[in-house]
Parts: sequence; C-alpha cells; structure tokens
Amino acid sequence: MAVEKPFDITTTTLESAINWARSNSMWPMPFGVACCAIEMMAALMSKYDASRFGSEVLKFSPRQSDLLIVSGRISLKMMPVLMRIWEQMPEPKWCISMGACASSGGVFDTYALIQGIDQFLPVDAYIPGCPPRPEAFIEALMVVQEKAREGKASTQAYTEKAQQV
Amino acid sequence: MGNALIVFDPTTGPPIAQRVQAQFEGRLLRGYQEGLQQGFDVTAEVAPSLLAFLRNDLGCTCLVDLTAVDYAKYPEAQPARFGVIYILLCPETGARVKVRAFVADSAPRLATAVPLFAGADWAEREVFDFFGIVFEGHPNLKRILLPDGYRDHPLRKGYPLRGKGERADFEVYRAFTG
Amino acid sequence: MYSYDTEVSELAENVVSVNVGPSHPAMHGTLRVKLQLAGEKVLACEQEIGFLHTGFEKLGEHHSFNQFITVTDRMNYLSPLNNNIGYALAVEELLGIEVPRRGQVIRTILAEMSRIADHIFCVGLMTMDLGAFSSVLWTMIEREKLYDIFEATTGTRLTTSYTRVGGLAFDLPEGFEARTRQIMDTCEQTLGQLRDSFVNNKIFLDRTQGVGVITKDQALSFGLSGPVARASGVPLDQRAYRPYLVYPELDFSVPLHEEGDCLARYLIRIDELEQSIAMVRQALKLLEPGPINHESAKRILPSKDLVYRDMESLIHHFKVVMPGQDHGIHPPKAELYSSTEAPNGELGFFLVSDGSHSAYRMRVRSPSFYNYQLLSHILPGHMVSDLVAILGSMNVIAGELDR
Repeated sequence: MAVEKPFDITTTTLESAINWARSNSMWPMPFGVACCAIEMMAALMSKYDASRFGSEVLKFSPRQSDLLIVSGRISLKMMPVLMRIWEQMPEPKWCISMGACASSGGVFDTYALIQGIDQFLPVDAYIPGCPPRPEAFIEALMVVQEKAREGKASTQAYTEKAQQV
Repeated sequence: MGNALIVFDPTTGPPIAQRVQAQFEGRLLRGYQEGLQQGFDVTAEVAPSLLAFLRNDLGCTCLVDLTAVDYAKYPEAQPARFGVIYILLCPETGARVKVRAFVADSAPRLATAVPLFAGADWAEREVFDFFGIVFEGHPNLKRILLPDGYRDHPLRKGYPLRGKGERADFEVYRAFTG
Repeated sequence: MYSYDTEVSELAENVVSVNVGPSHPAMHGTLRVKLQLAGEKVLACEQEIGFLHTGFEKLGEHHSFNQFITVTDRMNYLSPLNNNIGYALAVEELLGIEVPRRGQVIRTILAEMSRIADHIFCVGLMTMDLGAFSSVLWTMIEREKLYDIFEATTGTRLTTSYTRVGGLAFDLPEGFEARTRQIMDTCEQTLGQLRDSFVNNKIFLDRTQGVGVITKDQALSFGLSGPVARASGVPLDQRAYRPYLVYPELDFSVPLHEEGDCLARYLIRIDELEQSIAMVRQALKLLEPGPINHESAKRILPSKDLVYRDMESLIHHFKVVMPGQDHGIHPPKAELYSSTEAPNGELGFFLVSDGSHSAYRMRVRSPSFYNYQLLSHILPGHMVSDLVAILGSMNVIAGELDR
C-alpha cells in the first residue's frame, strides 16, 4: 500500500542536520604567522575565493571560531599563545596544520622552532608544501568539511586518549 | 627629479682614514680598506670615543647596522673573542665605515652606543640576547628575540644548532603539556 | 547628572594597559604591542618581538652558501626574489665574481617585478586595515598575475629560490617578455584606480594625513631605510646610492616626500610602483641572448638537466655540493657587508668567511628590524586606531623582523 505524502519531506536526525550545517559554514580562526599566511590570504581572496566553501568569515576571534588554521612556523615563544587560542575555541573544533613548518618544523631544524604543532594539539588535516598552493589549502578545507559532516573531530579522540592516560 | 644621488668614490671621498689615524694615533689596533668601506679595529675602551668622533666630526650620522661575531673558532687569531661590529654611513658623501670593537671573553662588556645613535637600542639588545655581551648604560637591556627565561646565547660558537634541549623542555609551555 | 564629556575625561584619568597581539587582525603576522591608554589616547607603547624567531643566522653558519638561498626566501615572504638576489650578490662580491650581462638584466627585471608585487600588496593591505576591503582584492588580482609569471620563471609561486651563487637556476621561459609587458599595463591601470580612489578620499585623508609623523632627524638617527625613510625626506636608495646590477643604465628617479606621515608613506609606494613599472619596461629592452651563469664551472652549480646527462657536469655538481677543503665554493678569509635595496629598505648581509664551504657568521640586516623600532617613539599622543594606520604604512614583515 502506497503511502501518500502530503508534501515533500526528508527525514533525518537532528545531529546530521547540524553537522551538515556546520560543515558548510566553517568559521576559521586564521593563525597566520609566516610565508604560509600569504598563501592562505591568496586562497581567501580574489582568485581562489574560499568563500565558495562557506568559510569566508575570518574574525580573528577564537571564541567564535571552529576551525584553527595554523599557517607558518611556530617558535618556542609563540607556542603558549597558540595553545591559549586553541583552548579558547569552543567544541567541536578542528585544526589545519598548513605547511611543512607547522607540521614538522620543515627546513628549520633549529633551536628556536617547535618541530610540529601536533606535539601539543590535535591536527585534523596536514597540508604539505613550503608553502602549499592555495589549491592544497582548499583541499584541506574540504577534508575538514567531510569530517564535520560525519560528526568527527580529532578533539574527541584526543580527549578520550587523554582520559585513558 | 632624476638620479641626483651620491655615489661614493673612495678615491675622491672624504679623508676619513687620515682624520681618524691622526686623531687616534696609537690607540687603533688596525685601520684598513675593505672594498668601498673603511675599517677600523679598536679595543672596547676606545670604541665609544671613536664612534663619537666619526659621528660628530666626520658626519657619519647614520648607524646602518650593529652586530657581533664570536671569533672563538676563527682560523686566524684575533685580539679578543668577541668583535662588536658597527657599520656607519655618512649620508652626505655615501661613505661607509666599519668599526670592530673587540671584547674579551670573560664577562664581556662594552659601553652602549644608544646616546649617539638611537637606532642602536634594539640592535644592542639583540647582541646581548645572542652573544651575552652586556652594554653598559643601555636603557633597557633584556632579551629581545628569544623568550624570557631562555638560558643560553645561541649565536656563540659551540652552541648546537638544535639547541640544548630547549625545544623539548621549556618552562613556559611545559605548564601546558604537563 | 550624567554627562558624556565628564565620563570621557574621567576615563582619561585612569591609565589602562592594553595588550594588542600577537594574534590580532591589525598586527600583521606576529607583532605584539603593549599600550598604556588614557581613554583612547596612547600614553606609552612597548613592542614585543621575536614570536617568529627562527634562527636564520645560526642556520647560515651550518648551511653551505647555495643552501642558504632557500632560507632567504623565507625572510621577507612578500618579495622573496629580492632577498635571493641580495644574498647572491653578497656572496658573489665575497668570491669576487660577476654574473654575465643577461643574468644581471634578468635579476634586475625580477627584482623590480618582485618590488611591484610587494608594494602593491602593502598598499592594498594598508587600505584594508583602514576599512576599504575591495582595494585589497584589486591588488590581489595583480599579485596573482605576477605569481603566475614567477611560477613560469622559477617553478614556484612564493618561495622562489631562483638565484644561485654566480647565476640563476634557469633561464627565462618562452613568452616572458610579452606576458610581462601585458602585466605591466594592467598594473598601471590598477595603480591609477588606487590613486584615484584614495588620494581625494576624505575618510582616508583624515586617517592618514599628519598621522605618525617621522621627522628627517628621527629617520637618520634610527637608521631607517626604504620607503619609510624616503617619505621623511631622506634620499637613501641603494639602487642609486650604491649602483648594482644594471640600475646605472636605467632612467629612473627616486621619489621623495617631506611630510613623513602615513599619507606620504602611502604615496611614496604608489610613486615607486610607477618607477618600477617603467624600470621593468626599460630593462626588458636590454635583454639579449647570452649566458646567465658565471663561466667558472668549479664554483657554479650546473643546470639539473645537464647533471643528469653529462658526465662533466655531474662531476662539477659533486664538486660544488660536497663539503671539504678540495671541493666546492671556498671564498677567501674575509669579512664583507653588502647591501641591496629590498622593497622595505636596505637589506644587508654581513658575511664572515673562514675559507670553508659555509659562512663563519651570517648576519642579516633587515630593514623591518630598524624601521619597526621607531613605533614606540612616534605612537604616544595618537589614538588607538592610528596604530593600525601607522603599522599598515610601515609594512613590517615579521619574517625578516625576527629572522
């Protein structure tokens, strides 16, 4: 027996609707430090235009953001600042480590630089390159969107692991 | 407009070398020509008066750069371990002068150049930060590029490129990582 | 009874400390300023730098002379080509070699194009900081065109590493001249747009005219250089003061302004952009076929393509790359300070060589370090919002500030 639909409806869970909305309106907190910041700006501006992905609201305010983009090399002096910003962001939150320096220290294996921010905070997407091209940045944005759509955030795994320890 | 600017020619330029030699006779370690630059080596005690003479009497009013070199492993013997290097410019003639003031290894000290050249402020702090040379009379001598609480002076020879474990064990962020 | 004026004057009696940065939209990158405020007026200001300290100078003592070129890219990351060229010239001066004519002309063209990319973005960012967002989008369009041509020439958009000690990595690509001419034309249009939109704009003038005045004496005693110094009437320009490459053959002038305020620093960049466009056009006419690298094969890295095909070149490659007394680049035991005009001012390299394949001491005299120092001396007496205008007009790049 066919069920007559009174009007077009789609059934879903509240959670996946929220995740869908989240994934298409990421609010990034750009932590632009060095060369990668210039390519990040290029990705956000005229030619590459990240606002096509719903991510154009750059407000430099961690309390209103859900995506931290660390682009550039992080020094010993800067790391506490970065940690403070990460802690200020509300959950759920995601983190992109842009470029070789943020991901691993890159070519700068020196006394002053952190050799990879993932020693201190969870990273959802690493972008290789020195600096990465804007296309690579957009790819990483899509990876994070995908994670958000599935309701995954690396903070969960991170928190769980921390609780086990 | 047009290119109405000065190009320095050492053959016709001001007689900086002769003036300094005459004024500081017996007190210079060495005077030499280095490319287009005139160079003078002095001890730390003579440096302030030489800088003042160059600035006030010879018109070298612009401090282009101030830095230091650790000669501890240099193949040729130098008068002392540290050389503090001043590069001065005379804006009227375009002449450049290099002054090397040698500072001894034990408790390195030198008089500040801030009263003469305001731009020496940060540069001296940087030399203090990286080499541990103390500039006496400096208005605000503290670390500038490295974080407070850093224990060593990384541009000294013998300090390893990757540090002495500061990256893994630095008190400021140890608090965050536990 | 409530009165707005008394409330404001009461506020002015209380001194408030405010921290701005290092992560703040107006603090280009990683700058941090501690302000003492009375109401909105700045009483005192102290800069805190070093948040991007990477240890370039220590790295310079461990890298060979050719390896360090990659590090120079990451100093002023708005115009890496100028750093590459300045560094290569310093090492060549130490070695006592000179690049052949075509190499010099190519370096001059790319140095000026890189200056255009830097200045035009700086002008765009300054106006963006003052609230005009669309201008930065216009300048970004031009910058993207320049990126395209840098990519075609050097293989990458931003960190170019294009020079080698004694030459260049590759020759120019096909169609370089025609494309460059085309880009210069569109740049000129954008420049006109920028000039028209802001020079007579009341809001822009109010925010910049008479704000952040640097006097000529201050500029000299603090060792300022580049557009910031020239906006205060100091006629220092290395391209004319200490001619290098093919600059003596080009017909250009050094723009000067006397006012020393933010507007003058804005205008001087626009004027310099005009000059640079003219210089690129002139230098393109000087391009003639010929070698780009110095002929001494024992010192210059051969092209990669030859290394793979030619036995001799492979040997030379090993000779240059391997450390040790019998190989590679060995400059004489000497000290040398060499400087060029980077977009922000005098970029100097102080090299001490002990005769080995890497420098004994590598000092980078960066223009931003000396320019930024002045901020705490000119800011007191201004409003908080003027901080944004002054910083935008100074174009402080943290990469070369902290090194």
